[in-house]
Parts: sequence; structure tokens; C-alpha cells
Amino acid sequence: MSMINIQDVTFSYTGKRLILKDINLTVEQGEWVAILGHNGSGKSTLAKLLVGLLEPKSGTIAIDGVLLTPDTLYEERKKIGIVFQNPDNQFVGVSVRDDIAFGMENLNVPREEMLEKIQFYAEKVGMSDLLEKEPSTLSGGQKQRVAIAGILAMQTKIMIFDEATSMLDPTSRNELMAYISTLHDEGITIIMITHDMEEALYADRLVVLKEGAIFEDDAKATLLRKPERFREARLDLPMALKIQSGLSKTDEKEKRVRDFLWEFVSAK
Amino acid sequence: MKNIVIGQYVPGDGFLYRLDPRTKLIAVIILMVAVFLLETIIELVVAFGLVILLLIAGKISIVRVAKGLKPLFVLLLFTFFFQILFNKEGTLLVEEILSLNPANLGLGLLLTVLWRLLARFGKFKTILLFLWIAGIYCLLRYVAIAPQWTTFSLQIHEKGIEMSVFVVIRLLIIISLSTIMTLTTKPTDLTQGLEKLMRPLKVIGIKSDDFALIISISLRYIPTILDEANKIMAAQASRGADFSEGGLKEKIKQVISLLVPMFIIAFKRSEELADAMESRNFVPGKKRTRIHELSFGWKDAVTSVVILLCLAASITLKVIG
Ligand SMILES: Nc1ncnc2c1ncn2[C@@H]1O[C@H](COP(=O)(O)OP(=O)(O)O)[C@@H](O)[C@H]1O
Ligand SMILES: [Mg+2]
Repeated sequence: MSMINIQDVTFSYTGKRLILKDINLTVEQGEWVAILGHNGSGKSTLAKLLVGLLEPKSGTIAIDGVLLTPDTLYEERKKIGIVFQNPDNQFVGVSVRDDIAFGMENLNVPREEMLEKIQFYAEKVGMSDLLEKEPSTLSGGQKQRVAIAGILAMQTKIMIFDEATSMLDPTSRNELMAYISTLHDEGITIIMITHDMEEALYADRLVVLKEGAIFEDDAKATLLRKPERFREARLDLPMALKIQSGLSKTDEKEKRVRDFLWEFVSAK
Repeated sequence: MKNIVIGQYVPGDGFLYRLDPRTKLIAVIILMVAVFLLETIIELVVAFGLVILLLIAGKISIVRVAKGLKPLFVLLLFTFFFQILFNKEGTLLVEEILSLNPANLGLGLLLTVLWRLLARFGKFKTILLFLWIAGIYCLLRYVAIAPQWTTFSLQIHEKGIEMSVFVVIRLLIIISLSTIMTLTTKPTDLTQGLEKLMRPLKVIGIKSDDFALIISISLRYIPTILDEANKIMAAQASRGADFSEGGLKEKIKQVISLLVPMFIIAFKRSEELADAMESRNFVPGKKRTRIHELSFGWKDAVTSVVILLCLAASITLKVIG
């Protein structure tokens, strides 16, 4: 049974223009999928459909084998955590501690357990010294970390990150990715929405959206061999591949660098 | 703008900080009732002394509380003068004939202009206000040059002085009490306390936890929205708009140019916030555990007893007095 099963989904906000067209996508438990696409290609819309904030115009979405309907929605949602794009508009609490707690409060997690988890996950995102801070005193990157900690603390089977690391500095992003890798190892299904190829390299599988339709869907190593497909979807190539394409294929030394770079992008 | 503080909460460690917010809320209400039962100035002065003692015991700086009173200074002043001038009971103490004529009206206007100018660029605003009041009084009293337009008599009665002092002290006590509460209680704890106290209202259909959530979200977004207003104003100023100049029509145009983007952003924000809350499993009215726990301890019990004694004392005074 697949973790996520999207069948023939179309969607439009206003009725006229189709934002998503004939989306078919199946994600197995424990996969790490990157959803890539240019701005406006429909990535965030797809994410909102997955958590039932929007309803498809046609087609069906099943989570963990259960079809999303108004009746099943509230139960199914407990299996998915999502971090949205704008950190300012998802900060519900009056302080960092309160905000990390919000999701757990709704899940009726006992207070003692909440306090422990807040400490644990705040440490994971490097916010444990700032638990009493009010959101207006935090930077964008700090707010993103709080949002991420709030989702991690809910310990859902599926975690969706919608451009959730855009304001993080490279070091904290690498630390976060390392932690998400351990969750991935534990069997959590990860959906990482991004237009940043470097971030997508952490995934096993890449799904490319273009103008609301699935343009490519393949294992990372396979898709990276077709760099022209990324250019067609108006995506930047990872730095390592850009360097690689500038190197000669015949020169022995440069070939070794090429191989190394390939190792680097495909093994992350 | 970044570090704007909502409410007047100032971190500290006096015993007032460790009381349950519910105790403080109820205490303030009961003490206000008790103060309103008092009938003589002496009683009020004693009560005021007790408030000062409370400040000292709670390690709260009196300067802080005085600063909290500052915005209400005009209200206090108004109450004072209103009582003194319009209370006509008791023996007549002072009677002055004031007159209004072209000469003192002209001088009065000049004085007003001077006062506003000085108040804008100078420092001693309160002293200037008193000087202005005194100046106007002297003009009305001593510049009596014909042709007179009208004369009227200013009378001060015994009861008027008594009442003005009485009302001002009472106001001072009440404002100080609520200032003490907001100084020592975080806004979150206050809403939490309100929520718990409003719980019985459930029987008439008011959901206190949703209400508390709304308050805490408003508190959380006030700085963000102020920040945004500043940014929009700066953006428009950089395109040549000037928010301090221009006629009424210009002003209205500028305000609209500020409000329209702010409303659009606020709507988008509330939409996204609702999405974020819903995706984190929030369902309005559903039971949720809470990270903040209020605990009613022995300090609260002692405080409650003391407060009730105060109430009993003022009831007794009312009955026997
Ligand atoms: N609430 C909305 N109402 C109408 N149109 C929208 C709304 N949200 C997004 N869109 C439109 O849908 C398209 C896809 O947006 P989105 O899913 O946010 O793309 P992405 O996340 O890939 O940048 C865009 O053209 C955008 O203008
Ligand atoms: Mg998006």
C-alpha cells in the first residue's frame, strides 16, 4: 500500500485556468521525493491538496490507503506534517515555545511529554536557547526553524517541506538535512518542495513540475543524466553538474574530476 | 519597531510575578470594588499607602508605575478641574470675577500659540501646560479692559476641593492597581487566566478557549502589522509621498494608499495562518492539551485571604461610617 497515491488530479482556483493538470503520483513509505519546479508551476498548490486544504476539481488523493474526503480528512491529517513557505504567516504562538507546542496541543499530547519534545526538537533546529522569544524579535531563518521544529515534534509519518529552508544559512541547512536523513532512515516519508537543485540532491527521486503538469518523474541518478530536461523546466543545474559539463571528456585528469563530481551528486 | 512590547510587562522576580494570573485578575476586581466603597479622604489615603506598600513588597519600581500613569495624566487633570469648578456644595471659599474681552482673547491666543510652539520643541511639557493654564487664568482675571463681551464668576466651594482630591486619589489607586497587574503578568498568562475564568460562560455558549486563542493571535500579530505599516510608509515616502504634509484631501489619499495594501496583506496573511493552523490539526472548539499550566499555590491562597480582608474592611467602614 502506497503512502501517497494521487490519481488523475486536476485543480483550479478560479474555474478557468487549470493550475494542476492530470497529476498522477505514487509515493511509497520511506521514500524521499523532491518536487521541483519554476515559480508558479503549482508546487505549493499540490502540497495544499495533499493535506486537504484544497479539494481537487477531479481525481482522488489517498493517504496511507485512505481516500481523502471531508469525513476522513481530520484523521488522515494527523499522518502529515507540512511546513509552509512563508515563516511569518504560520507562527501561531506568542513565543517560540508556544508555537512548537501548538500542533502537539491539538493532538492532545500530555504536557510533560510536550515539554520534553519541545526541548528535544528545539535543540535539533538550534533554537533551544530562544524558547521564550517572541516572533517579532526573530529573523526569517529563525522563524523557519521554529516552524520545522513544530512539525518534527508532531512525529508524523509523512513530512512535507515547502521551500522551508529558503532563509537558512548553509550550515544550519546542512545540519537540518542531516537530521531529516536520520528520519528518512527511520522510515519517514519525506516530500521536499524546492526550486533549489542543491537541496533536491538529498532526495532519492525527483519529480519536476512544469506549468501544472508532471514533466519528469524519475530516480535522481537517472534524471541527472538528462540535464537538458531541467533547462526545459527552467531550473538551474546543481553547481557540480555545471562544472562537470565544462570539463573535457577525453583528458584523463579532467575525467577523474568528472567522475568524482558525479559520485558527489548521485551519492548525497 | 522590532522590539515593541505589547502590554507593559516588565520581567522581574517579586512575589507578584509568581502569583497565578487568575488570582491577580480577581484581586484587582475585588480591590476596585473595595476602593469604590470607601467614603472619606482619610480612608482613601490609607488605601493609597497600602498600594505603595504593595509596590515596595513586590519590588516594583515606583517610577515604572508613575510612567504607566503618564498617559492618563490629562484624564486626572480634567477630573480634578471638573470637580473643583462644578461642585457647588458646601461653603463658598473663593469667588473671582472673570471677564472675556478682545484684549485678553487676543493675548490668550498669542499665549496658546507660544505654548504649542514651546511644547513642540521644548522638554518641560507638563510645566508648560500648567504655565499655560495659569497664564489664561491671569488674563481672564486681571485684563478687564472695555469693551467687555461677557463676565462670569468662578466659584470654588469647600466640597469641590474635597471631591476633587477624593476623585483623583481614587483614580490614582485604580490605575495603579491595574498597572501593577499588567507590569507583572505576561500577556499570554493574562489571556490564559481570562480563559480559565471565563470557562463557566460555556453554559451561555461562549467558548473561552477559542476566545483566548483569538486574543493571543492578535497580540502576536500587532508588532508584525505595525512593522508592515512602517515598511509601506517608507516605500511610499521613497516614491515621494509625504505623510505629514498636505491638505485634508491629500491626507485622506495618503491614508487610503496605506490602508489598501495593508488590508490586502492582512487578508492573505489570515488565509495562510488559517491554513497553517488547520494543517497542524487545529479544529475550533475541540479539546486540546495546553503547554501553559496555571497553578494555584499557597501564595495565591494567602493573597486571596488578604484581598478578602480588605473588602471586608471597606464594607465595615461603609456600614459603620
Ligand atoms: N489563492 C490563489 N488564488 C488564485 N490563484 C492562485 C492562488 N494561489 C496560487 N495561485 C496561482 O496558482 C499558480 C501556482 O501557484 P503555486 O502553487 O503557489 O506555485 P509554486 O509553489 O510552484 O510557486 C500560480 O500561477 C499562482 O498565481
Ligand atoms: Mg510555492
